[in-house]
Amino acid sequence: MKKSTKERLKQNAPAVPILVYLILLVGIPLLLVVLLSFFSRDSLGNIVFELSFDNYKKMLDPVYLRVFFNSFILAILTGLISLIIGYPVAYFTAGLNRKSRSFLILLIMLPFWISSLLRTYGWTILLGKDGLINNALIFLRIIDKPLNLMYNFGTVLTGTVYMLIPYMIISIYNSVDKLDRSLLEASYDLGGSKLKTFFKITLPLTMPGIARGYTLVFIPALGLYYISDLLGGGNTMFLGNLINNMATRGRNKPLASAFAIGMILLVLLVLFIYSKVSKNSKESLL
Amino acid sequence: MNTKGSKFRTFYLSLFFVILYVPVLSVVLYSFNKSSSTAQWTGFTFDWYLQLFNDRVIFESFKISMVVAIITSTVSAIIGTASAVISSYVSKKVESAINGVMFLPLIIPEVALGLSLLIFFTELNLTFGVPTLVIGHSLFCVPYIYFMVQLRLQEIDSSIIEAAKDLGASSWQIVKTIILPLVIPSTLTGSLLAFAMSLDDVIISTYMAGPTGTTLPVHIFSMMRTGVTPKVNALSTLFLLGTFLLIGLNQTIGRKGEKFYEEN
Amino acid sequence: MKRIKTRRISAILVLAFVIIFLAACGNNKSKEESLNLMTWGGDFIPREIITEFEEETGIKVNLKEVTSNEDMQSLLEANPDQYDLAVLTDYMVDILRKNETIGVLDKDKIPNFSNINPVYQSKYYDENNEYSIPYAISTSLLLVNPSAVEELGADPIKGYGDLWQEELEDKVVIVDWSIEVIGVVLKALGYEYNESDPDILAEAREKLFELAPNIVRFETNTPEDSLINGEAVAGFMYSNQVVKGLAADENLEAVFPVEGMPIFIDSFVMSKEAPNSDNAYKFLDFVLRPEVAAKIADITNFTTANNAADEYLPEDYKNNPVLNIPDEVAANTSFYIDVASVLEDYDYIYSEFKNK
Repeated sequence: MKKSTKERLKQNAPAVPILVYLILLVGIPLLLVVLLSFFSRDSLGNIVFELSFDNYKKMLDPVYLRVFFNSFILAILTGLISLIIGYPVAYFTAGLNRKSRSFLILLIMLPFWISSLLRTYGWTILLGKDGLINNALIFLRIIDKPLNLMYNFGTVLTGTVYMLIPYMIISIYNSVDKLDRSLLEASYDLGGSKLKTFFKITLPLTMPGIARGYTLVFIPALGLYYISDLLGGGNTMFLGNLINNMATRGRNKPLASAFAIGMILLVLLVLFIYSKVSKNSKESLL
Repeated sequence: MNTKGSKFRTFYLSLFFVILYVPVLSVVLYSFNKSSSTAQWTGFTFDWYLQLFNDRVIFESFKISMVVAIITSTVSAIIGTASAVISSYVSKKVESAINGVMFLPLIIPEVALGLSLLIFFTELNLTFGVPTLVIGHSLFCVPYIYFMVQLRLQEIDSSIIEAAKDLGASSWQIVKTIILPLVIPSTLTGSLLAFAMSLDDVIISTYMAGPTGTTLPVHIFSMMRTGVTPKVNALSTLFLLGTFLLIGLNQTIGRKGEKFYEEN
Repeated sequence: MKRIKTRRISAILVLAFVIIFLAACGNNKSKEESLNLMTWGGDFIPREIITEFEEETGIKVNLKEVTSNEDMQSLLEANPDQYDLAVLTDYMVDILRKNETIGVLDKDKIPNFSNINPVYQSKYYDENNEYSIPYAISTSLLLVNPSAVEELGADPIKGYGDLWQEELEDKVVIVDWSIEVIGVVLKALGYEYNESDPDILAEAREKLFELAPNIVRFETNTPEDSLINGEAVAGFMYSNQVVKGLAADENLEAVFPVEGMPIFIDSFVMSKEAPNSDNAYKFLDFVLRPEVAAKIADITNFTTANNAADEYLPEDYKNNPVLNIPDEVAANTSFYIDVASVLEDYDYIYSEFKNK
């Protein structure tokens, strides 16, 4: 049945305030970033309004592409590890009774009410040369010299996963929670093993939650900056640090904008792949 | 569920929560450290707690942060949930438009968002303070709640809604009696996340707070130059303690209420 | 076919937007005497000093804390009529006066200005002392653990050049900023800060890459911790961090690099459209009182620009060479001038260096 224009208008009218709100408050800043990225700045850091592609040319330098690559890898791995660690947490939590469930969800969220900077310092207290882990190991005579646990890619990864894993858990939990448990029962009744049921039913049905969780972890992981400073000893340059440096101390907002656009394009690419994949997985399910 | 499986479940969850809370515990532990540096443990002291109570600025910033976080999570919960419900009614094209726009605040670097909002709000002649902070924070909080609620909505059996309609239910009744009860859990977890994000934001808060406003995270980050004092560890410890007390209280009252209910 | 009216939801939505916007527009300025002050956090302007001022004058001080000079610039330029005073670093004074964001100070309203040490006046960013009042002076220098250096078999560390010794592998900590790090390299090579000559930069790049194996970590906020916990035996960091390190561990020693060192002067500036300029002058005169300045210096671990404060300073402050900078050392310092124009090149080299 074809809808009249009037009906369609009526149907879509409620979307107007949302679109206006977001386009006004986010669209305008975004437009500003796009425009800025084509300008340059003078020695005082003031914007010079001359259109050019210089900033983008600079961005394509191998040294900077390497920075993009580093951040990309960090974000991909952060998503993967959060998924591997977080999935069972979400799955098990959803299987508990209602009270324990909401209590555990609260417990997952609670640490995040403390400044992430303090919690990052918390990790340095743990992993440092004179830190709790080293001292405990020395006390137990497992080692006699403190181990080097800090300042490598692994510690940065630990830190970012730690900071972002709740997004993953909550997304997957949302998916698992509404799973129709009778489907699983049916599978068991039909003689399906637990493992088989999980891979044939649970996992595909929670795919939307996984995909959403992954994007919600991936995007902020690209832009985080102080975690790599504190836990990585600043030994690797990531995108967040670079953009932040350029925009503040470098007083080069145009160049920072170009890099921000680069980052946005990277995210869009990932979202595009994700939408393709999720479409395919839906089709294969049918 | 067999016992082997549930034992593994208990083990896994316990391990996860221990690791989740160990860095938090070291934050707590070092609020009692004599030295102001986290490099070494030099002895036990309550000094930082005493100093904390003489620090007006730290409390003011904590107050602003709490007020902003509470309003932000409430406002974002409303906007996010409403947007998700609306997105399920509108045509497919409009829905994907909303989806796309919702991703925007998440992919723009915060510095860019904060600076442009500063310029924009200055043009609009807004007074910078709690309301601008709430607007700024809700920008990145709404999408999280929106996506979580939407995830939930997608799975609602449309036959229930059709049936309700056939029985003559108005759209508002359908939303109120069928949809909202189903999405409320997602809204709540989402607003807990929003609360945490608002409480932790530095960059947007720097630009959106007026001359009289410094939020706690901005306060903490701005101390980097002179050194972060364990006073903030002490404040965080008290905050955590308070939250746990509230949860405990809530649980015991809840339990007693249930008992009361059962007895009568 | 869906034909459900969602008017009510969208009404609620619109209401929510309207409420927050109305709340944001609501202008309820109180008539209370106040002063809007913006600077770094922590105790950069100590709480007790602010409280003392409030009790004495009845003026309420609103302290806005930020994380960078550039944040202060953005906020001042966006809302010049909302801020009275800011404390920011030398080069930013230069930018703000050129952009006409800050105003010329009326010295007649600040009698205590005469207490300021001439050594810290008339700098490049304010030749005629019109716009700024120096508040806190800091430097970057070396913090060394001499016995640990000896144990490693390395020569004593006297300057930047000594950081390249191969015995110091994984034992050096350094502030995480391209300008500072490349500045160290340039000084070690005998050049000045902020060189922009491509040949010199190419040489500096080579030299920087040679330093890589010795660096255990880049750390801007608490580099002294690495020396205290033994991770590093030498570090290049800000003077207040050196002071902290010295206080925490008696094995550590401050070393003024023979090649010279950078200096930072954080100064008070007044917004051109300061809403409470009279209160601002009262505050400026208050912090320039000798006894107040001495107290500030003692709390913050920064060098005071106030000559008259000397007699009120505690002994251990006066005996601390890092805080009470000897004249010959002070003569061997230089500013990072015009950072923004070289930063892009430096950041490029720095990114390349870090990603190796």
